[in-house]
Amino acid sequence: MSGGIARGRLAEERKAWRKNHPHGFVAKPETGPDGAIDLMIWQCIIPGKSSTDWEGGYFPLTLHFSEDYPSKPPKCKFPQGFFHPNVYPSGTVCLSILNEDSGWRPAITVKQILVGIQDLLDQPNPADPAQTDGYQLFIQEPAEYKRRVRQQAKQYPPVL
Amino acid sequence: MMEEFSEELEPLFDYRRVQPLNVVYLDDDDLDAPSASPPKRRKISDSAVEKVDATVKAVNVIDCGDKEEEDWLPPPPKVSLDAKLRGEDSTLRELRLKKQELASLAQSAENVMRAVEESVKRELSDSLEAVAEKPSKPRCERNKIVLSIQDKDGAKQFRIYVDDKFERLFKMYADKAKLDLKSLVFCFDGDKIGPAATPDALGMEDNDIIEVHVTSS
Repeated sequence: MSGGIARGRLAEERKAWRKNHPHGFVAKPETGPDGAIDLMIWQCIIPGKSSTDWEGGYFPLTLHFSEDYPSKPPKCKFPQGFFHPNVYPSGTVCLSILNEDSGWRPAITVKQILVGIQDLLDQPNPADPAQTDGYQLFIQEPAEYKRRVRQQAKQYPPVL
Repeated sequence: MMEEFSEELEPLFDYRRVQPLNVVYLDDDDLDAPSASPPKRRKISDSAVEKVDATVKAVNVIDCGDKEEEDWLPPPPKVSLDAKLRGEDSTLRELRLKKQELASLAQSAENVMRAVEESVKRELSDSLEAVAEKPSKPRCERNKIVLSIQDKDGAKQFRIYVDDKFERLFKMYADKAKLDLKSLVFCFDGDKIGPAATPDALGMEDNDIIEVHVTSS
């Protein structure tokens, strides 16, 4: 029955997103090879903020919802090896609002999640590192960190 | 109709809301005018008339609201009529009062009836229109859909037929935005929208957003 709640909520999220979302963002449930829509997995795109080193990048993010959603937050994943101090090597985003035991609330919308992650890109949280590479460069070599961020933005050009 | 009605009633209200002293002077004055009243009184009554005018305006606005309850229920002012009818027989006076009361009652009733009639007529014709519109729509009209085209700065709404090819909308948008249609990319759900696609084909609903991106090339 909890699956019914999750799907119902996700259908609502889907509806709301189509009518109102920030420019440049994409969020849609995965469509299987047979054309069936899987509401539990969403393929998203987060644009890098303009006038930051992330500008020009359109970063793919996958949201994995569980049957316990919205009691529990979705798992949000960038591609493996994504360069950012708060992204695990697996690509999973480490962010307080996505943590069931800290900032997650069932009322948080998909839009808020995606905008929150966009904010995180340019404002990493050094108190909560999730990968060594990104964290150490951010702390010790700001210039090199910047270069790596810009390089990564180029790796994810707009898909249009 | 409304105007006449409230005009008739004005005296009823004037006197109630003005200081009783002035009211008496005003009426006295009217009666005394031919027989040259003392100048002292004139002055007082002039200012009283102004005051009355001011209150009359305010009162009229309020009165239009509940006719039935407010307008005729309060008995006619004794003060003014006492002055007017001084010397008249008391039965005559009472009869006149009664007549006035009845007349205003009849008029207000008439008014209420008219208002009810009008509102019923309006409602009826509205619902008739709605009934007439509904069945005809699917038959002889193509369904329309409201879509927002959103750029970096905000969204503009457009209304198009659900089976209309997007090229028409895109051209309209480019013209309005004074941009070259070739430099614009329109997408829905992250996918580019082809010029031959239609809202129906993409499963669009009212108020769905189409994003427009300006390409640098």
